[in-house]
Amino acid sequence: MKFEIELSGPSGRKKHVVELTRKSESFDVTLDGHPVDADAVQVSPNTVSVLLGGQSFEIHLSRAIDGKIKLQCGPHEFSAELIDPRSWRGRKHGALEVEGRQEILAPMPGKVVRVLVAAGDAVEAGQGLLVVEAMKMQNEIRSPKKGKVERLLAKEGQNVNAGEVLAWVE
Amino acid sequence: MFKKILIANRGEIAVRILRACRELGIPTAAVYSEVDRASLHVRLANEAYPIGPAPSRESYLCIDKLMDVAKKAGCDALHPGYGFLAENPALPRACADAGITFIGPSADAMEAMGSKTAGKQLARRAEVPTVPGTSDPIENPEEAQSLARSMGYPILLKAIAGGGGKGMRVVPSDAEFASAWRDAASEALNAFGDSRVFLEKYLVGPRHIEIQIFADAHGRCVSLGERECSIQRRHQKVVEEAPSPVITPDLRRKMGEAAARLGRAGGYINAGTVEFLVDADLNFYFLEVNTRLQVEHPVTEQVTGLDLVKLQIAIAAGHRLPFAWESITPRGHAMEVRLYAEDPDNNFFPSPGKIISRHAPTGPGIRLDEGVYEGWTVPMDYDPLLSKLIAWGNSREETIARLRRALDEYTITGIRTNVSLFRRILTEPEFLRGEIHTKWLDELLARARPPAVPPRPGTEEAALIAAALWHSANSNGSASSSGEPQAAPSRWKMEGRLRQMDHRP
Repeated sequence: MKFEIELSGPSGRKKHVVELTRKSESFDVTLDGHPVDADAVQVSPNTVSVLLGGQSFEIHLSRAIDGKIKLQCGPHEFSAELIDPRSWRGRKHGALEVEGRQEILAPMPGKVVRVLVAAGDAVEAGQGLLVVEAMKMQNEIRSPKKGKVERLLAKEGQNVNAGEVLAWVE
Repeated sequence: MFKKILIANRGEIAVRILRACRELGIPTAAVYSEVDRASLHVRLANEAYPIGPAPSRESYLCIDKLMDVAKKAGCDALHPGYGFLAENPALPRACADAGITFIGPSADAMEAMGSKTAGKQLARRAEVPTVPGTSDPIENPEEAQSLARSMGYPILLKAIAGGGGKGMRVVPSDAEFASAWRDAASEALNAFGDSRVFLEKYLVGPRHIEIQIFADAHGRCVSLGERECSIQRRHQKVVEEAPSPVITPDLRRKMGEAAARLGRAGGYINAGTVEFLVDADLNFYFLEVNTRLQVEHPVTEQVTGLDLVKLQIAIAAGHRLPFAWESITPRGHAMEVRLYAEDPDNNFFPSPGKIISRHAPTGPGIRLDEGVYEGWTVPMDYDPLLSKLIAWGNSREETIARLRRALDEYTITGIRTNVSLFRRILTEPEFLRGEIHTKWLDELLARARPPAVPPRPGTEEAALIAAALWHSANSNGSASSSGEPQAAPSRWKMEGRLRQMDHRP
């Protein structure tokens, strides 16, 4: 997932590109194209812990009135403006629309509580396919693309493990 | 003991009082204005009753509404806290009429000691030193000048009708006396139509040091030692500590005795504070009496081990003071900072609003007295005091280190706070040496701010990564532009979304 971020802080304002790639339990992070040794965990709804080359940072975030993100790290304050990759796609990066057969994976261990589509159904991008419950919270798994449900492997009531294939969308 | 106590206040002090009541097993009734329905004191009280709209004049300052609630709820005592009606003799009178015990001094003692002029007269009668000078005008400039010589320079000329610094002159030496006298008198005449002037000893760089007194209804009045409150911004205390870095055991005893003498002379009962100015030679001069619990009472609690609110309640219930005066010596050191919802980068402008997140410091030697919580909206209608952060330790140095550590742990987002002010004060060499006076902070703030410590390497990168992660977790397809963050989605959802995106080519 790629983010273009304009960061304003004590040393001025500059644009950066941050790329987060999910990798089992953590992320691979690149900053302005360079891979960095970083790990980030959202420890509370408005706090992210970042380990950067072993250095520990605690960042507190909130949304400002103008939509920018306000960040506090100890006594230091920053403001970040993000360009959402999904809004890029919608506006001018239509080519980023996913293509080909997509595996729908269970994001976490849980229980399939509802199946919203049947094999052969036509689906829109973003349409809910099934609902997985974990820690008493229900999460809708959505179709990443417009297409057809090719196969549906999950059944209602079934327990699934993280990474288990739930469906294929062609 | 009391059956139920009405807490006629709000915010952190209401919470402080109801905690004491809970420990004593006394049920509490809170009152709240329309904007305080979700306030912490309402949530923690056993009972809570609305007393009107947000403006305090129509709610927290309405004695008749408080009396109605007290009767309706069956309260037999009332604690006023500080501020609002705490020093208004009409409240103890109304309580007496309604047969409710007021947890504080009598209306008469409040009147005899509370006002500046009455307090000063009482101090003279009780042989408590006041700032040397004449409270009567002097007509003859020659007579005034010889008086000034006998008092010693510098002296201060003040207009009898004075106010706002008009008709006021500092006279540094005898040579300047005649011209300063003329200026002060003519300025006073122009400003107030009254040229009469009196003189007072001018204290250079005085400290504000106050003595906590406690008196029971059985004739005992004792001192619980001093608090140093010299760190003030425009006469508003922001840092308080005990013991004072300059007070010797001998001076503590003298000031304590003077304060207790004053309390006895005024027929005082319950908790009170006698404020003094202390000059560079450690002479102390009576300033005024606060006839109530002080905001900064926790520093005394931390060095004496006493719970002043519980003590107030016990004394109001007719109990005797449970300790001998000799047994009260400060142990260790305690310091309090007052965290306000205000913006130190914007002339300390109030910053009400919703607290989006809050991380409270804990750990050794840390106490946080507050009336706020995450998700609460700080109303714009009242004093912007959010929390009092109190640290204590074996020494002043350890206490300051703990306070600094706790300030680093303390984070509030959504509103601005004056935390950065304390980070600055607590690193100033003069403050660390205890070389402070009542104008010290105003002078510090008038000086250019030291260059900010740059963030350590990696902070910007960490902020970027945090922004990306938080944004992806918080945006629900459409970028949020509302002032409030959306309810954070579960991590499951966020991980799932990230994973789905990662599976795109």
